[in-house]
Amino acid sequence: MLQGALAGLAAGGLYAVLAVCLTLMSRLVRVVNFSQAATGMFGGFVAVWLVTETGLPIWLGSVLGVLLAGVLSGVIGWIAATWLSEADTTTRSAMTVGPLLLLISLSFILFGNKPQPFASIISGPAFTVGGVVISQVTLVTVSLAIVVAVAVRILLTRTAIGTRLRALSERPTTAELLGIPSKPLSIAVWVVTGVISAIAIVVVAPTQSNDAISLAMLIVPAAAAALLGGFKRLDLAVVGGLVLGVLSGLVAQIDEVSLIRNFLPFLFIVVLLLWTQRKEVWDAAR
Amino acid sequence: MSALIIDDIAVSRGAGPVIQGVSFRLEQGRVTALVGPNGAGKTSLLDGISGVAPISAGTIRIDGTPIEKLSRVARAKQGIVHIEQGRAVFPSLTVRENLSLTARTPAEIDAALARFPELEKRIDAPTALLSGGEQQMVVLARAFAARPRFLLIDEMSLGLAPVVFMRLLPIVSEIAEQGVGVLLVEQFTHLALGLAEEALVVASGQVSFQGPAATLREDASLLHRAYLGGAAA
Amino acid sequence: MPHADSGLARSRALRFLWPLAVAVVGVVAGYLLSVGLSGYFVFLAVSAVTAAIAILGLGIVTGSAGMIALCQLTFAAVGAWVVSLFNVLEVPGGFVVWLIAGGLAAGVVGILVGLPALRLRGVNLAVVTLGFAAAFDVTLLQIQFPGSKDGIPVLRPEGFSTDRGYFFFSIIVLAVCGLVVFWLQRGRWGSSWKAVAFSERGTASVGQSVQQAKLTAFAVSAALGGISGGLLAGQVQLPFASSFTPLQSLALYVLAVMSGAYLIDMAIFGGILWVLVPELLKRWGVPQDWGFVIFGALGVQALTSGTNLGQGIRNLWWKRADRRAAAAREAAKADAAADRAAVEPPAEASAPPAPPAASASDEPALSVTGLTVQFGALKALDEVSLEVPAGSVMGLIGPNGAGKSTFVDAISGFLPHASGTVRLGGTALGRMSPTKRARLGLRRTFQQDRVPPALTVDAYVRFVARRRVTAEEVAEVLDFFGCPPARTRLAGVDVGTRRLVEVAANVLAKPRVLLLDEPAAGLSHEEHLELGARLREVPARYGMAIVLIEHDLDLVRTVCSTLTVLDFGRVLASGPQDEVLADPAVIKAYMGETEML
Repeated sequence: MLQGALAGLAAGGLYAVLAVCLTLMSRLVRVVNFSQAATGMFGGFVAVWLVTETGLPIWLGSVLGVLLAGVLSGVIGWIAATWLSEADTTTRSAMTVGPLLLLISLSFILFGNKPQPFASIISGPAFTVGGVVISQVTLVTVSLAIVVAVAVRILLTRTAIGTRLRALSERPTTAELLGIPSKPLSIAVWVVTGVISAIAIVVVAPTQSNDAISLAMLIVPAAAAALLGGFKRLDLAVVGGLVLGVLSGLVAQIDEVSLIRNFLPFLFIVVLLLWTQRKEVWDAAR
Repeated sequence: MSALIIDDIAVSRGAGPVIQGVSFRLEQGRVTALVGPNGAGKTSLLDGISGVAPISAGTIRIDGTPIEKLSRVARAKQGIVHIEQGRAVFPSLTVRENLSLTARTPAEIDAALARFPELEKRIDAPTALLSGGEQQMVVLARAFAARPRFLLIDEMSLGLAPVVFMRLLPIVSEIAEQGVGVLLVEQFTHLALGLAEEALVVASGQVSFQGPAATLREDASLLHRAYLGGAAA
Repeated sequence: MPHADSGLARSRALRFLWPLAVAVVGVVAGYLLSVGLSGYFVFLAVSAVTAAIAILGLGIVTGSAGMIALCQLTFAAVGAWVVSLFNVLEVPGGFVVWLIAGGLAAGVVGILVGLPALRLRGVNLAVVTLGFAAAFDVTLLQIQFPGSKDGIPVLRPEGFSTDRGYFFFSIIVLAVCGLVVFWLQRGRWGSSWKAVAFSERGTASVGQSVQQAKLTAFAVSAALGGISGGLLAGQVQLPFASSFTPLQSLALYVLAVMSGAYLIDMAIFGGILWVLVPELLKRWGVPQDWGFVIFGALGVQALTSGTNLGQGIRNLWWKRADRRAAAAREAAKADAAADRAAVEPPAEASAPPAPPAASASDEPALSVTGLTVQFGALKALDEVSLEVPAGSVMGLIGPNGAGKSTFVDAISGFLPHASGTVRLGGTALGRMSPTKRARLGLRRTFQQDRVPPALTVDAYVRFVARRRVTAEEVAEVLDFFGCPPARTRLAGVDVGTRRLVEVAANVLAKPRVLLLDEPAAGLSHEEHLELGARLREVPARYGMAIVLIEHDLDLVRTVCSTLTVLDFGRVLASGPQDEVLADPAVIKAYMGETEML
C-alpha cells in the first residue's frame, strides 16, 4: 500500500509543479492555459530528438528543449497579450485550446504517436524509509514543486517586479495608466511558466507514459490540483497535486477499482467545484 | 509651461460616437472643471485622452508632439495620469506598495505621504482594509508620486462623505500649484467650479460651454443652458 | 383591416413552412447525391453528416449558450456504445429506436456531467469536460464497445443497409436534427441560451432560471453528440475507441468555433470541412495530422479576432439591411415628431403640476422595511424603509454613489446577504432568488446593457414577457415606446435604443412592480422627455407600479407622484413629490449641491 502511494508521489510532484504554473497564470495573466503541459511535452520531444538524432549531450538537449518550450509558451502569451488583452478569462483560455490541438498534432507529424525514448536525467533510488524506496525522481519533483511555490511567493511579495505583477493582475487598466508595461511583463510570465513546466516534464517523462497525448493531457490532473487552491493559492495547489498523485498510486494498487483511477482527476474536479461554488455567484459584479 | 491640446476628437463606444468634435486646451498649473449631466460623455472623454478608449478622430498633443497613437503606458510615461472613477487602489497591495508603483525612491514615497498624515500609521496595511476616504488619499498620493504633467480626475467624490471630500479638494489645488494641469470631472458642480480656474461643460457628447469658471459661478442660467446642450440651441 | 390580417397570417405560415421546405429540398438533394456519388465519396459523405450533427450540438452549447465543452465525441461514444449494446442484445425496434436511445442516453450523461457545472461558467466547465473526455477515453479503451470482441456488426436500418442507402438515411437524420435545432433556437429555449451567454443577471432578472438554460443547452448538445455517434456506429458497423478521442473532441470544438456552428448551415459546412481537409491533404500526399494543425491555427485566429466564417458572411449582408432600416426609422421618427408638433402642444406644458397619487386605501405594491446592505466596512444601504403605492410612479433620487443601484439589486434578489424585509403586494420575498422574484411580478432593468444582441427585438420581447403575447401586442408596446420594429436584430441598434426595448419588454411582462435603473441614460434630451411622458401613462395603461431612478429633476417632477431621496445609503425623505421637494433636509443636502442636475 505505502509503496503504491509513494510511487504516485513522483507523478504527484509533476501535477503539483504544473498546478503551481496554472495558478500563477490564472492569477497574473487571467488565463487557464490548456496548452501548459503541451508546450512542455513538445519541448521534451525536441530534446529527445536532439539527443538521439544529433547526438547532443543529454543536458544540452534538455536545456534547448526546455528553452524552446519557454519560447512556445511566450508566443501564445504574445498572442493573448496582443489581441486578447481586454478579453475575459474564458475567451483567453479558449484560445489556448488551439495551441493544444496544434502542438499535439505537430508532434504526431514530427515524432510519430508512439512513446518517446526519453533518456533519464535522474534515476535510481534516493533513500529508503522503513523498507520503502523513494526514488530520486520523486525527491526532485516534489522538491521542485515546493521550491517553485516558495520562490514564486517570495518574488510576488518581496520584489518590485512582484508588486507590479500583482498590481497588473488586480487592475490591469489602472496599472497601465500608471505606466506599468503590461505586455512585456505578462509575456515574461508565460515564458517562465513554460520553462518551469517543461523542466518538470523532462524530469518525470522517463518514468511515465510519455506519448504526446498522455503528456499533454497532464493538464487535467494539474487543473484538478490547481482547483484545490481555487486557481489562487499556491500552497494548496502543491498539496492538491501531491494528494492526487498519492491517491492514484493507491487506487492503482487495487484491481477492483482500477477503472476509478481514470476518473479520479475528474471526480476530484467535480467535488471541488461543487464545494467551492456552493454559494450562488453571479457572472458580473453588478 | 506646456499644454495638453485636444483637437476635434471623437470617442466611440459600441454603435456610435459618445464624444464628438471636442477641442480644448489644458494648461499646466491650472485646474479645469469638466462638468455635465450623467451620460454626457465625461468619462469617455477622459478615457480617450489617457488611452483607455481609442479615439476615432482628432489629435491629442503635448507641446506639438502628437500622442493619440501611443499606448496607455506610453502616454503615462509622457506625464498623463488618469485617476479612474471609484477607488482605483490595488486592494491586496499595502499603502507603501501602492505608492512604490510610481515613486522611484523611498524618499519620494515619504514626500507623497507628507500630505496625508492619516496614512502614515496604516502604511503597511493592505489598502482593501482602508476606508473609502483613505483609499482615495492613497490614489492621490500615488498619482502625485508619479510626477504627472497632466492629471485627469474622474468623480473623486463618488461614495465619499462630504467632509472627506472637502478634505481632499484642497490637495487638488496644491497639486496644480506644483505645475500640474488638472482636469477635474465632478458631479458636485459648484464645488468643482469653486476650485477651478477654467470650466468646460459637456452635454450630449459635445462641448457646450468653455471659458473661465467664474463666468459659470456667477451666472446660473448660463450653466443651466449649457447643461441642456444641443437641446436648448 | 382584413387585407393586412390575411397578409400577416400568410407571412406566419411562410415562417413556419420555409424551414420545412429547406429540409425537404435538402433530403431530395441528399437522395440525388446518394445515387450519383461514387462509392468512396458516399462513405466520406456519411462521415461529413455525422460530424455535422456533432458540430450542430456544439453550436448550441458553445455558440449560442457561450460555454466551452471539450467532450463532444465522448457523448458521441456514449451514443455509439448504446447502439452497439442494443444491437448485441437485439433490442426490438431496430436501428432507428437504438439511435434515439443513444441520443437520449448521451443527453442524460450530458445532464450528469453538466449538473455540477450548473453554477459554473466558461473556464471551469472547460476543465470539467476535458477531464471527462480524458477519463472516458481511457475507460473506453479498457471496456471496448459491446460486440467488438466477437465482431458482431451493427445492423443498419431496413431498406438503408447499403452504403448509398445509409447515406440517404443519414441525410434524413440530419434534416430532422436541423429542423429540431431550428425550432428550439427560435423558441424559448433558444432565447434563454443566447440570453445566458450574454448575461446571467439579465437572464435571471426576467424570470428565466439560469441553471435550466445551461442544462437544456448541455443536454440538447450532448443528445446530438449521441445521435452523431450512433450514426457513426451504423456507418462503420464495428466502432472503435479511436474514433472518439479527446484530441478529436478538441478539433471539433475548434472547428465549431471557427465556422460559427450556432448557424445550422455553418454546422453542415463544418462537417464538410471535417472530411474535406484531411481528404485533400491525403490526395496531396501530406500527412493527415496537418489537418488538425491547420484547425488549431485557424481556431486561434477565430478566437483572437472573435469572428467566425458564418457570422462574417451574415454581417456583410446585414450591414446593408441595417443601413436601410436605420434610414427608414429616422424618416419615421421625423414624421412622427412633425405630426406631434402639429396636433398637440408640448408634453411638458400639458402635464398637470403633479400626477395623481393612487388612493391611500390600496395595499402598497412594494413595501420595504429596514433594508440594510453591507459591503465590508461600508454600509451601502442603512435601514431603508419605503412604500410604493400600487399604480404609482415613485422616483428614487440621490447623488451618485448614494446606493440607488444597490437598492435595486437588493430588492430584485441579487444581494442575498441583504437584511430587512421586502414585500411584494403582501408576499414577503425573504431569500427568494432573482428568478423567483421576477416570476412573482417584480421586474427590473439594468444601468448596463443586458439585452442579448444575438436576439431579434421580437424574440427578446417575447422572452422577457414570459406569457403568450400576440404580434399585435408586441407591435403596440414597441410603438408606444418608440422602439424599432419587431423583426429588427438587436445587434444592429445602439445601446440607448436597446435599453428602451428592455423597458418596453418588461412593461409587456405586466409585473406588479417595475424597477427602472436610469432608463434614459444614453438617450438624447428629446427622447428623454418622450420616455418620461410614456412612463407617466404606463401604470394606468398596463397596470403596474414603477420605481424610477432618474437624475433629471425636471423629468422626475413631471413623472413621479411620490419621491424617495437616498443619501449615503439612508432615506433622507420619502413621500408625495411636493412634500419631499419642499423638505429643508433635501434642499440642503441634495438640491443645494446639484440643482442643475
